[in-house]
Amino acid sequence: MTKKTKWFANGYLTLVFVLLYVPIFYLIMYSFSTGKTMSHYQGFTWAHYVALFQDARMIQIALDTLLLALLSALIATAIGSLGALGIYATKKRQTRNALLSLNNILMVSPDVIIGASFLIFFTFLGIGLGFGSVLMSHIAFEIPIVVLMVLPRLQEMSTTMIDAAEDLGASSWQVLSRVILPAIIPGILAGYFMAFTYSLDDFAVTFFVTGNGFETLSIEIYARARQGIDLEVNALSGILFVFALLLVVGYYLLTQYTAKRQKAGVKRP
Amino acid sequence: MKKLVAAITTILVFCGLLAFTSDRLAKSQVKSQSNTLTLYNWGDYIDPALLKKFQKETGYHVSVETFDSNEAMYTKIKQGGTSYDLAVPSDYMIQKMKAAHLLVPLDKSKLHGMNNISPQFRNLEFDRHNQYSVPYFWGTLGIIYNDKTVKASQVQHWKQLWNPRFKDSIMLVDSARDVMGFALIRDGDSVNTKNIKQLNAAKKRLDSLTPNVKAIVADEIKMYMIENEAPIAVDWSGEASEMLSQNSHLHYVVPSEGSNLWFDNLVIPKTAKHYKAIYAFLNFMLKPENAAQNAEYVGYATPNEQAKALLPASVRNDKQFYPDAETMKHLQIYNNLSPELIGTYNELYLEFKMYRN
Repeated sequence: MTKKTKWFANGYLTLVFVLLYVPIFYLIMYSFSTGKTMSHYQGFTWAHYVALFQDARMIQIALDTLLLALLSALIATAIGSLGALGIYATKKRQTRNALLSLNNILMVSPDVIIGASFLIFFTFLGIGLGFGSVLMSHIAFEIPIVVLMVLPRLQEMSTTMIDAAEDLGASSWQVLSRVILPAIIPGILAGYFMAFTYSLDDFAVTFFVTGNGFETLSIEIYARARQGIDLEVNALSGILFVFALLLVVGYYLLTQYTAKRQKAGVKRP
Repeated sequence: MKKLVAAITTILVFCGLLAFTSDRLAKSQVKSQSNTLTLYNWGDYIDPALLKKFQKETGYHVSVETFDSNEAMYTKIKQGGTSYDLAVPSDYMIQKMKAAHLLVPLDKSKLHGMNNISPQFRNLEFDRHNQYSVPYFWGTLGIIYNDKTVKASQVQHWKQLWNPRFKDSIMLVDSARDVMGFALIRDGDSVNTKNIKQLNAAKKRLDSLTPNVKAIVADEIKMYMIENEAPIAVDWSGEASEMLSQNSHLHYVVPSEGSNLWFDNLVIPKTAKHYKAIYAFLNFMLKPENAAQNAEYVGYATPNEQAKALLPASVRNDKQFYPDAETMKHLQIYNNLSPELIGTYNELYLEFKMYRN
């Protein structure tokens, strides 16, 4: 690459990142404004953060959202990993492809349709709308992502290891827990994080299946934004942004750590 | 494997902690689930201080859930799975809910203070003899203008909006029946017309208004008008009162040739459970002093005659929000139209909204 094109490439990259991040920082900046709206910045204050922490309803909703994301991602990861193992173990190529396609269809179908169909389904079964219904639907739309994250790891894994373990007399449980699981753990972790962020992110599905008494952050912020954005929402967005940043840094450090250990230990095939 | 188990346990413990704190927080807000009343209301449509007062007086806690359109509320209640005790639909929606058997009739023997409601707001077409509904607020559709750039005499009537000098300066509220409504009224037609010719003519008139329309938006109008971003808007009276209170250059006009008159009413949906609390709340809200306090907070006009008397004279005699009898005579209430006709209204409106250039 010549110097000129490199300069251009860097400039382009910077521009893209600036465009992506400026709105977020603009939003966060106003969370410190003494004004009431986002039209003029008027001096620094923590007041919106104080108001946020005194708003028990908002805090409760934030905690509920986090709980929902953690729990649904956990269950979805368990089911999804088993599903990936199932697809991997399917001998017949056609069946395997069919299963995988069914999984992918759920990935690409719009949230609105998934949400509406869950709403109809739940009311048809007579399941009350609330935390339970939201949890179930979140688990459902997270499973395909986990499957997609875990499956490549399984395919990368060398089958000779399984054969060797079996030859050495390992029971099928031992094969699973000592050979397969350690090999696919990075995939499972990635799947968990993806599922977690999908759950935090989701608006459409939750909007349909939530009932009285349970709300997530995205629903609550939407409801509040209809009245004109309150700067408390900015404060909350700021905190969530920092939280996400920490999460990403944590995930990065975790992968660095495991990569180092793997390098230090036995070389993977 | 061990690490996986450890990770799972950590997450589960964390979940447990979260559930515990969230439960504690929920309990700190609601003392006990059994004596709560769930009010399904428009956003910011009741004075929170009144809810506290109600809890103090009766011990019932009110938890408020909000909706942003009559249609959304209708779907949620019809779908079931919820336990709303009271809802606040507008006039035409009451007819629709009644037809769908979603409402529980009021037990008049438990209701005290209906006589506080002005006779002109009782026994209306959408709910004869107030079998199902207690009037909550009423209001109009009108024109808001900024006196920095627009003279009062320039916006007294709907047809003046078509004045070419208002190029690119009018904001419309994004609501099919309201926008079609003022276009119909402009030429003296009914807002409930079933005549397709009249509807098409109204749509044509709207098309010719296009050059003057700056934007078709919803709640944002308030902010734009307060910030002097647009000189003229068409919006509801309650929204207008909030704008006026924050920008002294703004004024509200209900055109004397007619406009929409609407009512929001408290009703008991079929999902209701806590009847004692419901009647306690209805009676509480019918009390003049409470209705007056609520009216001052919300800014819409109260149908409660006794409460109106308690309001400051400057509010009570404000022609903008309590129009004179002559104008009142010309105001029209929306009827619930057949789904096909509603479809036509929406389609024409969408055509106007989407293809304006």
